[in-house]
Amino acid sequence: MNTRAEVWQGTLALMVLKTLNAMGPQHGYGVARRIEQTSENLLSINHGTLYPVLLKLEQEGAIASEWGVSENNRRAKFYRITKSGRKHLATEVTEWAQATEIVARFIALKGMKA
Amino acid sequence: MIRTLRRTWNRLLGSLFRRNADGDLAEELDSHIRLLAEEGIRRGLPPDEAHRLARLQFGSVESTKESYRDQRGMPALDALVQDLRYAFRGIRNNPGFATVAILSLAIGIGANTAIFSLVNGVLLRPLAYKDPQRVFLVRELLGPGRNPAPSPVNPMHAREWAKQCLSLEHVALMRSGRAQIAAGGEPASIPAAGVPHNLFTLFGVEPILGRTFFAEEEREGNDRVAILSESLWRSRFDSDRSLVGKSILIDGRNHEVVGIIPASFRLPYRDTSNVRFEIFRPLVLAQAELSRPMGNFNYSAVVRVRRGVSAEQALAEINVVQARFPFLAGSRRDLKATLTPVHEIVTGRARLGLWMLAAAVGAVLLIVCVNLANLLLSRIAARSREAAIRTALGAGRGRLFRQALTESLLLAVLGGAVGILLASWIVQLLVAGGTLDIPRLDEVRLDPGVIVFAFCLTLLTGLLFGAFPAWRLGCNDPQEALRTGSRTVTEGRRGLRRREALIGLEVGLSAALLIVAGLLGASLTRLLQVDKGFDASHVLTVEIDLAGDLYRESVNRERFFDRVLAKVGAIPGVQASGVTTELPTLGETWNDPIYLEGASRLEERHTVNNRYSSPGYFSAMNIAIRSGRAFEESDRGRGVAVLSEKASKLLWPGEPDPVGRRFMGEDDKPKTLVGIVAEVRAVLDRDPPPTAYYPYWQRVPASVDLVLRTSADPRSVAGSLRAVLRGEDAQLPIQAIRTMEEVVDRSVAQRRFQLTLMVVFAASALLVASLGIYGVVSYSVARRRNEIGIRMALGARRSQLLWLVIRQGLAPVVIGLAAGVAFALFLGRAIRGLLFGVQPADPLTIAGVIVVLLVVGALACLIPARRAAGTDAVAALRFE
Repeated sequence: MNTRAEVWQGTLALMVLKTLNAMGPQHGYGVARRIEQTSENLLSINHGTLYPVLLKLEQEGAIASEWGVSENNRRAKFYRITKSGRKHLATEVTEWAQATEIVARFIALKGMKA
Repeated sequence: MIRTLRRTWNRLLGSLFRRNADGDLAEELDSHIRLLAEEGIRRGLPPDEAHRLARLQFGSVESTKESYRDQRGMPALDALVQDLRYAFRGIRNNPGFATVAILSLAIGIGANTAIFSLVNGVLLRPLAYKDPQRVFLVRELLGPGRNPAPSPVNPMHAREWAKQCLSLEHVALMRSGRAQIAAGGEPASIPAAGVPHNLFTLFGVEPILGRTFFAEEEREGNDRVAILSESLWRSRFDSDRSLVGKSILIDGRNHEVVGIIPASFRLPYRDTSNVRFEIFRPLVLAQAELSRPMGNFNYSAVVRVRRGVSAEQALAEINVVQARFPFLAGSRRDLKATLTPVHEIVTGRARLGLWMLAAAVGAVLLIVCVNLANLLLSRIAARSREAAIRTALGAGRGRLFRQALTESLLLAVLGGAVGILLASWIVQLLVAGGTLDIPRLDEVRLDPGVIVFAFCLTLLTGLLFGAFPAWRLGCNDPQEALRTGSRTVTEGRRGLRRREALIGLEVGLSAALLIVAGLLGASLTRLLQVDKGFDASHVLTVEIDLAGDLYRESVNRERFFDRVLAKVGAIPGVQASGVTTELPTLGETWNDPIYLEGASRLEERHTVNNRYSSPGYFSAMNIAIRSGRAFEESDRGRGVAVLSEKASKLLWPGEPDPVGRRFMGEDDKPKTLVGIVAEVRAVLDRDPPPTAYYPYWQRVPASVDLVLRTSADPRSVAGSLRAVLRGEDAQLPIQAIRTMEEVVDRSVAQRRFQLTLMVVFAASALLVASLGIYGVVSYSVARRRNEIGIRMALGARRSQLLWLVIRQGLAPVVIGLAAGVAFALFLGRAIRGLLFGVQPADPLTIAGVIVVLLVVGALACLIPARRAAGTDAVAALRFE
């Protein structure tokens, strides 16, 4: 439970960036929904956990925010990815792909049974 | 990396400028939940259920807000800001305690900073030489005897060291004196030194203008050149850059100024570490001087040891060379040498005293800390309920500790800030006062190093007095504290014990300080009362330097002294007058041997202090004549001398009255002994040396001290004295006219300074300790009001109650005293070098301090004890 949450924290930032990159400016609700849809509801998160991650990315300058009006005519904060965010996303994606590839190779190792 | 920095920066901003961020967040989260709920309604859920599910899906709003806030700012910084705000409020709510704390810390930290700036400037900051640790002063040790006194250096010996010792990079001889200079202002006599051309290279000092000396300038005839110090050049010649290359009159002769040496350069010279030499001339050595082993020990010598060679190796090499000289001179005496680091020479006797003061002032600050810790501990009792409530509301123990410590640190920082201001004022006072006989005092200032020291000291102080009480605060069991329901939680017997231990510590340190102060006081008193061999009261002195062409012939100097002595003798109110080459208490000088005619072996040559004086000198100084008579005018034309008792015993041991016998004086000429006089101290705190006196006309000195004994206040004839000197020679620089008492006083100025500070430190320690005792006893009396009431109800008498309180209050005092006395016995040995005529374990001083502390302790107990004894039994019992 705990370990999964940690992996989650690290990857959540990547998912947020990827989502914003693909869909353009979104509010928090939109991002959360989109992540759930992309993972085909395999991942179900507390939407609240998203906000500290959004703030952290904003502090790092990877995303920017501005107040706007949502589809139900409410004031909502819209997030968009910045130039440095895209750069960051690119490196993260490469690193992540490498990591999964390495892990996959280990899992594929044949030999004595554990 | 950059991202991390950027994030940190934004979080810092987030901590400092919060604006309306909480409201924004609430709105954002609210809008999110509504969107979730609306989606549920669209899927056909009833609104209530949709909202419930939306909340579930979102998770805890409060927990989101909390982690969001932690991410937004810096929790540690936020807590610090909160703690600081709380600490300020604490100070505002309790101004009395805060004032006492800040003031005592300011005094403690200020005094420590001031003393540290002295220690730093005088002892720690390296001298302005290149690699000063490789420069040593050499002195010769002439045996027999296990610990012969170090003597100045023979030029021939020094020349041989330079030739033969590979471990020495440079050897330089120096001779000190004064030079008269008329250019650029009033005629003045200024400390000057004759130095070889390699001296400045040896010290690694570059002239700021011009050059240093050439080797050929050390030859007679080429030596009319001079180097001035920057300070003289600035004060007397207005920093005139064209001075270099010009000729100025020094001692009445033209000298070309070839260079200016930076003011920071300080020439170490034998004992006279506090003299600043400002004129340098080439040292010219006569061939005769360079070929006489084992005599003529008249120069100061410094050496620079080669890189990578230890002082021991260099000394061993010098001693090999030394061993040959007695053989060359046909003597059986031992000859060795000793090397002293140049820093020790410059700081000299100020060293031990300054370290002692630093330790003492540190002890005072420690006492202040202990006292504040004690006060804080007593406040804990009052604050434990508040602490308990905070714990119950979820404050961690660490958080409570941090917050209490923040308050102490804030007090310390405020105290430290005031303390630094105080220190800068004290330092200014010390340096500007200038009466202090401490070398390098002019280099003392509050530099960045000192400020850093003060800052670290401040933090350390805050931790020292704050940490323990802060830790205790978190130790209370909140349940216990809240349940008792009384206004305050009394600290248990253990708490009181702890505070009594702190009192013991305060008393112990105070006792040690008082004993050291007492020992120094007794030393100074004894030193001032010591039999000096002369009477300093009603004596006026002035130094006369006869230099220049006018006085080159000794007959001119003789006539000058004759006339001046005749004229000052006629000043109304002058009872007696005389001259001598060196006043008592100013040092052991002119050490040369006297011997019986025909004595060939060196062992029969007795080194004594030699003085050239006038007939009236003995009566002017009230030096007792033990046998025979002083010189008289009728002695002109024949060789006569007066010896001190010790000197006569050296020549004629066992002979009761050798007056009338003949011996050879320091000038190797026969003298008839006409009188024996009492011993006179050449240095106040050393035994008098054997001394020989000769009439001044036998070898007319260029520099003498004139002394006048007056019937009334000696200052009243200063004007007439000045007029006489001016009348004889209008160009003569007139040095400071001082009374002999001032001269003696100056030689104890350092001791007086140490004593004054020690008394101040010890008195403040005593005051703080007595306040501490008072505080603890009052507290314990208040705590035991009930018990006292019961005792009274049972018939205890007033005196019994008084005694009960005093006895218990004094218990930690007695224990602290015992420890303090033991500590002082140990300290006394360390400062033995500062004592005079007093043993480090002087029973009188120790007994006195014990009595003082017991009396002060008893007084501090008495006030609360009387309050206790005056308690109304009924009221006390009803109190709870």
